[in-house]
Formats: sequence, structure tokens, C-alpha cells
Amino acid sequence: MITHQDPMHILLADDDEDDRTFFSEAITELKMDNKLTLFKDGKDLMDYLELPNIKLPHILFLDLNMPGKTGIDCLKEIRANTRFKDVSVAIYSTSSSKKDIEDTFIEGANIYIKKPNDFSMLKKVIKEVVNMNWQFHTSGLNIETFFFSI
Amino acid sequence: MKFLKLFKNSQVFKLALGVAILVVCYFGSQFFSQMQRLTSTLELIAKSNETQLEMEKQLSIINSYDYSLRNYIITKDESYLQNRFLNRGIIEEGIKKLKVLTVNDPIRNKDILTLEKLINHRFKLFRETLIAAKSSNVDQLGLNSKLKKSNDYTEMMKLFVYKIINSERLKTKFQNSNHQFELQDSLLTAFLLIILSLLILLLSFNKTNGDIEDLKQANDKLMLLNESFNAAEKTAGFGHWMVNLETNQYTFSDNMYRLMGVKPNAFESTLENSIKYLHPDDLEYVTQVHKDSLVNHQSTSIVFRFLTAINEVKYIMGVGSFTRDGNGNMIKIGVNYDITDQYKRTLELEENNKELKYINSELESFNNIVSHDLQEPLRKIQMFISRVEEKEFDGLSQQGRDYFSKIRIAANRMQTLLIDLVNYSRTIKGDIVFVETDLNKIISDTIQDLTTNIEEKSAIIHIGQLPIIKAIPFQLKQLFINLVSNSLKYSQEGNIPQINITSEVITEEEVSKYEIINKEDYYKIVVEDNGIGFKQEYAEKIFLLFKRLETDPKYSGTGLGLAICSRIVENHKGFIKVKSEPNRGSKFYIFLPKGDLV
Repeated sequence: MITHQDPMHILLADDDEDDRTFFSEAITELKMDNKLTLFKDGKDLMDYLELPNIKLPHILFLDLNMPGKTGIDCLKEIRANTRFKDVSVAIYSTSSSKKDIEDTFIEGANIYIKKPNDFSMLKKVIKEVVNMNWQFHTSGLNIETFFFSI
Repeated sequence: MKFLKLFKNSQVFKLALGVAILVVCYFGSQFFSQMQRLTSTLELIAKSNETQLEMEKQLSIINSYDYSLRNYIITKDESYLQNRFLNRGIIEEGIKKLKVLTVNDPIRNKDILTLEKLINHRFKLFRETLIAAKSSNVDQLGLNSKLKKSNDYTEMMKLFVYKIINSERLKTKFQNSNHQFELQDSLLTAFLLIILSLLILLLSFNKTNGDIEDLKQANDKLMLLNESFNAAEKTAGFGHWMVNLETNQYTFSDNMYRLMGVKPNAFESTLENSIKYLHPDDLEYVTQVHKDSLVNHQSTSIVFRFLTAINEVKYIMGVGSFTRDGNGNMIKIGVNYDITDQYKRTLELEENNKELKYINSELESFNNIVSHDLQEPLRKIQMFISRVEEKEFDGLSQQGRDYFSKIRIAANRMQTLLIDLVNYSRTIKGDIVFVETDLNKIISDTIQDLTTNIEEKSAIIHIGQLPIIKAIPFQLKQLFINLVSNSLKYSQEGNIPQINITSEVITEEEVSKYEIINKEDYYKIVVEDNGIGFKQEYAEKIFLLFKRLETDPKYSGTGLGLAICSRIVENHKGFIKVKSEPNRGSKFYIFLPKGDLV
């Protein structure tokens, strides 16, 4: 059971080094009480998640277009495993194509974020998503509310 | 007229002919029996005449004998008695003949027997008289009485004979008149017979003549039909053939020969001769299909090639089906159609199609490059710009800051351009489905998407009641997003932008101007603003790709927005028009066909 006493544990899987840097800088600047772990591709992420004694993350930010194991592959594996049922998955991608949005929605992602092209916007997005009431968000989820817009 | 009609009917004609022949037969037999009767009457008359003659002959012999005896008595000359045995023989013969003649008449036969007795008795008297006359001492008295007795007897015989002859004469007379009557009868019958036969002959001739005339006309028609059929086959590139399954006899039409590249009737129409012109690669397959069909009587439909006499490859569509001819024989009729041109065209089309598919996939990958690969580094540039602006801006000189904001504007412009390009290319893709689309929903989505822009400009949007149409929803949304953001972008400074989106009735003026055949067939949606507008002379140009009217950097357009609008309306088989006046605003008219036109 995830409680608010624990520091928020956030994962990001993204093959783009710059994007990982932007993300961690944004988290740092937001001065939030949380722990961020970064992965450079899907394989690294899944290897980590399958370790037996780890503390499960609250939110996983998942890039779609990654070499080897893609974001959608990871999403499928995660949603196939009941151990990760409480992990919220936020798709974090440059693409805003209808197909990607629909596919990830069907595969059980919780929210779809298009990577912003402004740093202050990125901070705003992360803040909103991290502080989101997931229970409320998930109960009223549909393809329109799935795509995150500020 | 009615008779002629009946006469034309061959059934009635056959019946009439049958009756006529029966009548002729009846008359013929009648005539024959009459002739028979005539012959027997003639025979009777002839017999009677002969009987009479023979009787007279008997009498005359008796007389001549009498005379000879008397001459002897007077002259005592022996030579008068020389013929007596001869005469007796003639009489015997005569009697025999008479008996034969009267064999069918019992009364007359009895008379002849009586005559024979009379003659025998007369000869007995002759003999007695001769004996008396020859004796040496003639008893003159006795002789005289004998002579007298003989004389009386002869007279009595004469009377008897004449009585018979008379009776025969009477009979002959009666037979004669009978004969006359029968002769007339027979003549009449013969006449009728001839007339009737002539009539039948005439009728038959007439009928046959008519039949031949009809046959000739039908033949002419058939020939004409055949000729036009041949001409039609030649023009249309068809050829047909037939095979009688009972006789295995093949027939080819003229153009069938031409399809094989030879002159009509160039060779005997047999299967063996025709398959020589099949393309070697198709030979086995075609003959197999044909032979199988001859067994199972199933229709065939195949495409094959002829390698014609001049080594030209012809693509042929061949269909065959089975039916029965007039004699009930099973026949297969085949039609061959030269599809070489179509085949080549199809090949060309397939080639073009392949190319098109290739171009389409190229466009798709171009789309991906623009929408993802190109945007990716651009987004990074923008991110870094925002990072610098946030953290390092203070460290820059004034000029450095100016340059930097110009970099930002250029990067943003590039981003809009990329997005518009993607949107434009998405309107070109072909495989899109039309669905019932509520324009009210489309507009409210559009407003939702543009909220930031609208609030920024404090614009007032008025939306009227809009129809539900068959459309491609995402394209229509793109259309209104482009139009509304255009209106927002080209608003007049210091004026609150006002945008009206309504559905209007098509005016008569528009009907004649825009060649709408029926105004009931189209919806007219109007997007009106109070922006900067433009000169009406540019009304056509603004819909062209990369055509921009404003050069002022504050109106940062890509030149794609309205081109996309025009494209989308075209995709919906509609058209878009604009009326504008500088500093007064623009009015965009979108004409979209109602459901059944799409």
C-alpha cells in the first residue's frame, strides 16, 4: 500500500539523454520530496522492475520510441503482471498520433503526456501529474481525459 | 381471305389433301367398276350377236342341204350330194359353239338342245327322203309326201330359230341402251375425276409455291441477320464457335478465324486445326478444360492466349455453355472475346497502382519524418532556448537577448510549419471513411482546442444551430480549427474579435454563380469575422498552397492553413468561397453536399 508518508518514487525510461536531463532538472527545481530513478531503455527498466526486493514506484514515465524493448512492450509486460497493478504509467512521448494514444490507452496506461517544448511547461506537467489524484483520475478515465493537456 | 388463311395453315391443308385423295379414290373405283360393267355388257352383246349369226348359219346350211337334195332328185346328178358330210360337220361345230355361247343362259341352252334335236330329226328326214329318191322304183307319192313333210319341218325349224333370234335381238337392244347409259355415266365420272385431280394439283402447286416463297423470305432474313452478326462480331472483337456433341462437328464464325489471325474458312473447322493457334503454354490447360466440359456439361470461363498466324499474342476471354439444338442434340456454344487491349490496360493500371502505392508509402514515411523525426530535434532546440531564457538570459548582452528571441520565434514558426505540413498531407490520404458527423459537436471541440487562443484575444464566438452531415470528422475539425484560428490571428488591433459560425440558406444568386444544380443538395456553413480582411481580388489566391497575403511578421502564417481548408472541402465534394473587404472582415462560405452526394 502506497502512503503519503513515503517519499514519492518516480521512474523514467527514456533513451534520449537530453530528455532525461531535462526531466531530472525539472524534478530538482520543483523541490519535491521524491526519489527519481532513470533508465536508458526498456530492457534496463524491466530488468530493474523484475528484481525481487525493490520498492515499487508510484509513477512510471515511459517513452514509447526506444531501441530494443519499446515503451508499448514494457507497458504490456507491466500490465500483464499483477504485482505492478498499483503502478501508475504515464506515457511520455514526442508523438501525439492517434494510433499511439489509442494503443497505449487500450494496453492500460493511465495518462498520455506529449513532451512539451518549453521547460517551464515541463515543470508544470510533472507537478500536475505527480500530485494527481490517481484514484479520481482513473475512475473517470476515457480517451479524451487520457490525453493530458494543461 | 379467310379461306386463304386457312389454306396457309399446313394442318388444314394436309387434312384437305387427305379428303381430296379419298374422294379421288372413290371416284376412281367407281369409274373402274363402271368400266367393268361396260365390258361385260359389250361381251353380252357380242355373244348375243354371235348366237344369232350361228343360228342363221345353221338354218342356211339346212336350207342349202335341202336345195342340194331337191336338185339331185330332179337331176339325179350325184355331185349335188358331195357336200352332205361336210355340212353335217359344220352343223356339229355350230351347235358346239352355240352351247359354249349360251353356257351362262340356261333357257337359251335348253333352246339350243331343242334345236339340236330338231336338226337331228331333220337330217333323219333328209336321209329317208334320199333313200326314197335313190330306190330303183321310185314311189312318187311316197317321195312327195316325204318332201312335203320335210318342207313343213323346215318351216317349223325356221320359225323356232327366228323366235330365238328375235328374243336375242330384243335382249341385245336392251343391253345396247343399257350400254349407252353406262357409257354416259362413266364419262361423267371420268370428267369429275380429271377435274378433281386438276384441282388438287393446282392447290398443291399453289401451296408449295407459297411455302417456297415464305422459305425464301425467311432465308433472306436469316442471311441478313448472319451478315450483320458477322459485322458486329468483327467490330466488337468477338468470335464464336459451336460443337455438336453427337457428331463432334465443329463450326467457327468468320471472326473466330480472324481472332486466330487467318482469313474466314481458311481451314476446316475442327478442334485439332484450331488448337494449333493456342499459345503453347496455354494449350494443355485450355484443351483439358474444354474436354472436361464436354464430359460434365458444365459452363466454362477461361482466359488464354492465341499465338496467331502472324505470331501475334492475343489475350482471349473464352466462355462456353451447353444447350440443345433444334434436333435435340447437345451442343456447346463458345464465345471468344479479344481482351488484349483491356489486358494491356490492366497491366498498365496495375503498374501505375504499384507506383501510386509506392508514392503513398513514401508520403507516409515523409509524414513520419515531419511529425516525429523533424520535430524531435526542434523540440530540443525549443527546450534549450527556454532553459537559456530562464537561467542564462541575465548573462547575455542586449543584442544577444534580441538574437535569442529571434531564434525562439524562428523555431516556433518552424514548429507550426511542421504541424501544418503534417495536417496537409493527412488530407491527401485516400482511405478515409465518411460517417454521420454532428457539426455542433465538431465546433464545440474546435472551441475547446482553441480555448487558450480565444481567451488570449478575448474573442466572442457565436455559434448557430448546425446540421449533421456525412463527413470525415477529424478533417472537418481541422477545417474549423484553421478557419477560427485564422480569424483570431488576423484580428484588428484594438477591436474585440467577433466570430460567427452559422448555417444559412443558399441564395438564388449563389445557385447561379456557383453552379449548384439544386440548392436543396447542399448545406451552407458560414464563418464570419470582423478581422483585417483583404481585397476581394485575392479571394481565389488565398486557398493556394504557400500563398500568403500578409508580410507583416506579427501575422505569422505558414501559407498552408487555407490550402488545407480548401483540400478538406474538396475531399467532401463541396467547395469553399470567401467574401472579404479590408478592415471590415471576411466571410467564409463552405458548401457541403447533403448525404447522398458524397
